[in-house]
Amino acid sequence: MTAPEDSATRQAQDYLAAVEHELADLPPEDRSALLEDLAQHLEALAGEDDDRPLAVRLGLPAQYAADLRAAAGLPARGSVVRIATPGVRDRLDAFLASPAGRRVGSAGHEVWRLLGELRPAWWVLRGYLLVLVPCLLVTDGFRDFPVPAPLGSDELGVVLVLAAVVGSVALGRRSLPRPANILVTAFGVVLVLASFAVAQDELQQQQEQDYAYASYAASSVFTLPTEVADGRYPLVSRYGPVTDVLPYAADGTPLDGVLLYDQDGRPLKVGFQEWWADGCVRALEQPRAADGVPVPNSYPQVYEPTGSGVDGALVPAGTCDTDDARPEVPLPTFPPAEPTPSG
Amino acid sequence: MDASQLLKGVLDVAVLAVVGDADGYGYDVVRRLRAAGLEEVGDASVYGTLRRLYQAGALTSYVVPSDEGPHRKYYAINDRGRSVLEDSTKTWRTFADTVDGLLQRPAVAA
Repeated sequence: MTAPEDSATRQAQDYLAAVEHELADLPPEDRSALLEDLAQHLEALAGEDDDRPLAVRLGLPAQYAADLRAAAGLPARGSVVRIATPGVRDRLDAFLASPAGRRVGSAGHEVWRLLGELRPAWWVLRGYLLVLVPCLLVTDGFRDFPVPAPLGSDELGVVLVLAAVVGSVALGRRSLPRPANILVTAFGVVLVLASFAVAQDELQQQQEQDYAYASYAASSVFTLPTEVADGRYPLVSRYGPVTDVLPYAADGTPLDGVLLYDQDGRPLKVGFQEWWADGCVRALEQPRAADGVPVPNSYPQVYEPTGSGVDGALVPAGTCDTDDARPEVPLPTFPPAEPTPSG
Repeated sequence: MDASQLLKGVLDVAVLAVVGDADGYGYDVVRRLRAAGLEEVGDASVYGTLRRLYQAGALTSYVVPSDEGPHRKYYAINDRGRSVLEDSTKTWRTFADTVDGLLQRPAVAA
């Protein structure tokens, strides 16, 4: 291709792009029909022996587009928007024409373009939400996330989601008349808001369930649920803080004064039991070694009533349970020990 | 007097007449209108008019492969278009006669 032809092609491309820009607000069907004609027109002009610029032969692109619109019976550029929002569009145009506005405008244009590219993703999400949100709203005890289970059926959920996504994408690809477009947009906004509301509700329910489970786990002691070992409750089991250890011999004999150590040989310590079923306050009486130092890891622990109640009132010593009755435990029965063969 | 203003009013009937003579693609219609004497006619106006007449159901279109470049979209007049052309022709004749009558009067009076 020779240089002048190359330049003519570029000129034609620029002209086409400029007119396309001027027709950007038209319905896609009208726009593509007009641009298709123009492309053929420019092609025909390029074959003629006339080296005047296109802007001279056809007029400026904006004028060409305006004539095209007028002759085709289409609204003048911007007139549709101007009816809907008088003044706003003009002010926006004026701002966008200023140097600062041009920068904002190009950034805005990029964002707008990105949003346009993300539209198909929204169409898919919209179809999914259309099935998911009603399923979450119906409390049927079935798990609806991530796969909605209408009437308790995951399979039905998958089929409905696929159908809704296909329908939503088909709807998105069509160019709708303005009233229908507004309706679809409004419905989309409602769907998104409903999704947020339902998600928040689900999250709260989940937290309440977790809390209820934690409370249940700690219900064997009259303390606040303390799931993590700390200085006050150095030993915590899955049921809550441990406040005593009850050792038995293999034959079921309850043992007293058993010294326990952990895997590293450190004395095993448990928490202090503050609350008692009879309402008496008790003090921990740890056995003392020969040097007078209390031994904290002797089990079971020994508590003695102090003579006062939990509410601070004096309690007659006789009313407190004195026998340190152990809870009933299901003790295993071991097979009788084999006599060790000797000699 | 600005002929382009007059042209706007008669472009529909002019385009229908040209396409009624023989099917044509956009630029072909432009050239035939100019050749017929409507030299002021704008390319965009003709293309826009073709589009509008097609949308109104007065023209049909078909695509013809071209050796020299892209396929060409040809327009052809249909029954509806012929009926519009007929009505418009009558209207134009009446209008033109009226204007002619008006313009000839001073000459008569003189």
